[in-house]
Amino acid sequence: MTVAVPRRRSSQGGLSPSPRGRQSPIARRTRLYPYLLIAPAVLLVLVFLVYPVASVFFYSLQHSNVTQPWNDGFAGVDNFTRMFGDPLFWQSLRFTLQWVLVEVALQFVFGLALALLLNRTFVGRGIARALTFSPWAVSGILTTTIWILIYNPATGIGRYLADLGIGEHGTSLLSGQGTTFLAVVIAELWKGVPFFAILILADLQSVPGELYEAADVDGAGPLRRFVSVTWPHIRQAVVLATLLRGVWEFNNVDLLYTLTGGGPANSTTTLPLYVAQTAIQSRDFGYGSALTVVAFLLLTFFSLLYLRLTKRGAES
Amino acid sequence: MTRHAPAAGGRSLPLRRVVAAASAAVLMLGLAACSNSGGGGGDSEKKVALQLWDTDTRPDRTANLKALIAMFEKENPNITISYLGLPTDSYMQKLSTAIATKSTPDLVTPKASDVAALVAQNALAPLDDRLAGSSIAKKIDPNMLKSAKAAAPDDKLYLTPATALADAIYYRADWFQQAGLAKPATWDDFFSDASTLTDPSAGRFGYTIRGGAGFFSQFVQMVYPMAGVGTFFDSKGRSTLDSPAVVAATEKYVSLYGKDTAKSDLTADFKTMVAQFDNGGAAMLSHSIGSYPTHIAALKPSQVGVVGTFPADNGKTIVTGQMVTGFGMFKAGAHQDAAWKFLEFTMSKEGNSFWAQKSGYLPGNTDVAKESWVASNPAMTAALDTQKAKNATVLQQPYYLPQFSAITTTDLLPKWQKVLQGDESAKAFLTDAAKQLTAAQQDYLKRSKK
Repeated sequence: MTVAVPRRRSSQGGLSPSPRGRQSPIARRTRLYPYLLIAPAVLLVLVFLVYPVASVFFYSLQHSNVTQPWNDGFAGVDNFTRMFGDPLFWQSLRFTLQWVLVEVALQFVFGLALALLLNRTFVGRGIARALTFSPWAVSGILTTTIWILIYNPATGIGRYLADLGIGEHGTSLLSGQGTTFLAVVIAELWKGVPFFAILILADLQSVPGELYEAADVDGAGPLRRFVSVTWPHIRQAVVLATLLRGVWEFNNVDLLYTLTGGGPANSTTTLPLYVAQTAIQSRDFGYGSALTVVAFLLLTFFSLLYLRLTKRGAES
Repeated sequence: MTRHAPAAGGRSLPLRRVVAAASAAVLMLGLAACSNSGGGGGDSEKKVALQLWDTDTRPDRTANLKALIAMFEKENPNITISYLGLPTDSYMQKLSTAIATKSTPDLVTPKASDVAALVAQNALAPLDDRLAGSSIAKKIDPNMLKSAKAAAPDDKLYLTPATALADAIYYRADWFQQAGLAKPATWDDFFSDASTLTDPSAGRFGYTIRGGAGFFSQFVQMVYPMAGVGTFFDSKGRSTLDSPAVVAATEKYVSLYGKDTAKSDLTADFKTMVAQFDNGGAAMLSHSIGSYPTHIAALKPSQVGVVGTFPADNGKTIVTGQMVTGFGMFKAGAHQDAAWKFLEFTMSKEGNSFWAQKSGYLPGNTDVAKESWVASNPAMTAALDTQKAKNATVLQQPYYLPQFSAITTTDLLPKWQKVLQGDESAKAFLTDAAKQLTAAQQDYLKRSKK
């Protein structure tokens, strides 16, 4: 076997190190070039991602409250042990889980149904698609404003229903006992369903028509066609969409904060909302940071677990 | 080395001396420039641009504040003030960020309940010396000055006593007349009138209770006068919230919810509550005198009646809601003299008269308090009559506690909603609240060695 050895060039014009081990300026420049190119991106990541995350980890080990600076100092794991005895932490964690599961499951079911419907050919399909997708284009704050008006006991739908003898005056889904969860779920579905529908519909359109024709020839019914033809094609889109929505719903603050503020009686307080209350409203940055660290770790763990499970499912 | 000889006769000055003389001249010029600017804030002659961050962005208030600024700028052509409105419910986040990043403005309108938190961050400039050296000091209402100082943990003045709020109970005068009811004069009247005027089938309720954000101020306004308790802490620094009289009053007050109020009041904040009263959903509303202009704008003045509060069974009249609503300036501001000039203007006869009248607040300037418009505002006269009542005691809320705001908003609000829902007893709620406030007060007493 012949091994081609590159010729060493002189230090004046060559790329290789000089015989004494020194690099030529050009060689050095060439070697540094890729690092210089990625330096701005690395800098941005360091400043806007690594530093904030690291500072949250740092503050989670501190007592830090701007209104009581005399108590500030190293806390060790005090902030983490405090969570064990904090009923609101456990309540918010339970509600977060319930919120994510219900929201993602319902958004997926309705989004899939809408996508299958909009994939069919019918008169006015373009308008139907535009109307279906439009809530996704509405900003979060605007969405909550719309739903606040809808649920307003004096001017919203409840008032008109009460005038018709359905329900009572002076009530609202948002402040009723046991109805608040339903109210916020509906509002978030309105915004979240189009996301699933868009992603699934995009994948549905890439399914070759011949496959359905072949399934028809084989005598497959609608369910068999869906399981054997449609599902394998949209599976990856569903995995991506559920993962993204899961993370987003976990971190959902704008809608819940604006619609309910986490109430009544903390019944709609998610973990991120509790973080916001602790760190921003009560200005207890130490405990707020510890809560954030736990939320971060939980989210990372469940995301990895979900990806692992879905990958295993695909392989099997 | 060559040494230069001392300058004499016609000989040229040595280079080192020339440099030294030039340096001294430059330094002198610099010092002169500094003394012109007052060294730390003297802004008498040069053009100065100030920034004011307002913490209440109701449109009518913003317009009035901008008009006040324009009046000041006309009188002080060398000073301009740029206005920035911050969201009321999150302004403290912005201020804390500005303090941490050393980018605070010159002027601010902090709520009395947030002064302690800002002082803890060493952000606000004390104003005692400036006020003492000002001719305006003689014209300031001493009670209001006391209230303004009471908002700070160190009894210093950080918030100008420009104006103050006071509590009032509004009622629909036309509904009372239609129902043959006289103006409520006692707590028994209040409860029976609320019951009489409730008609859920018509979407009308006797009262609107504040179950959402800011509940604590209304809770104190109603419960303490009903209980006849005039202090927040006893002589040992224990909260009076769990005293038998306050517990009994709270139980009675809570009994209104869902019976004589809308069930949706569970989450009602200031806006919802006011909208309910102004849109014909509630016969009575308890709030500060500051909302009177809003009510008469939505309804006819003849439809809106107003009373201060009612005497308790023990004969005491407890005056609540005396909260100073003034201006403050940041320590880090570069133009302290100019900033103080504006604060002085807001307490002057001209500025205070305009600002208090437009805001619907009690004026801090004693000359302004005698003006005719004060007597023609029923909300103000009701509040002033209450203050002059026999056995009147002013209840000061402990705004000086840095934890007070967090306890009464984040911590107690969900528990209050549980009480309204019937999931927690009033006694358990008050015991817990008293425990938290007592701990905060004891911490304060320990730190200040009082």
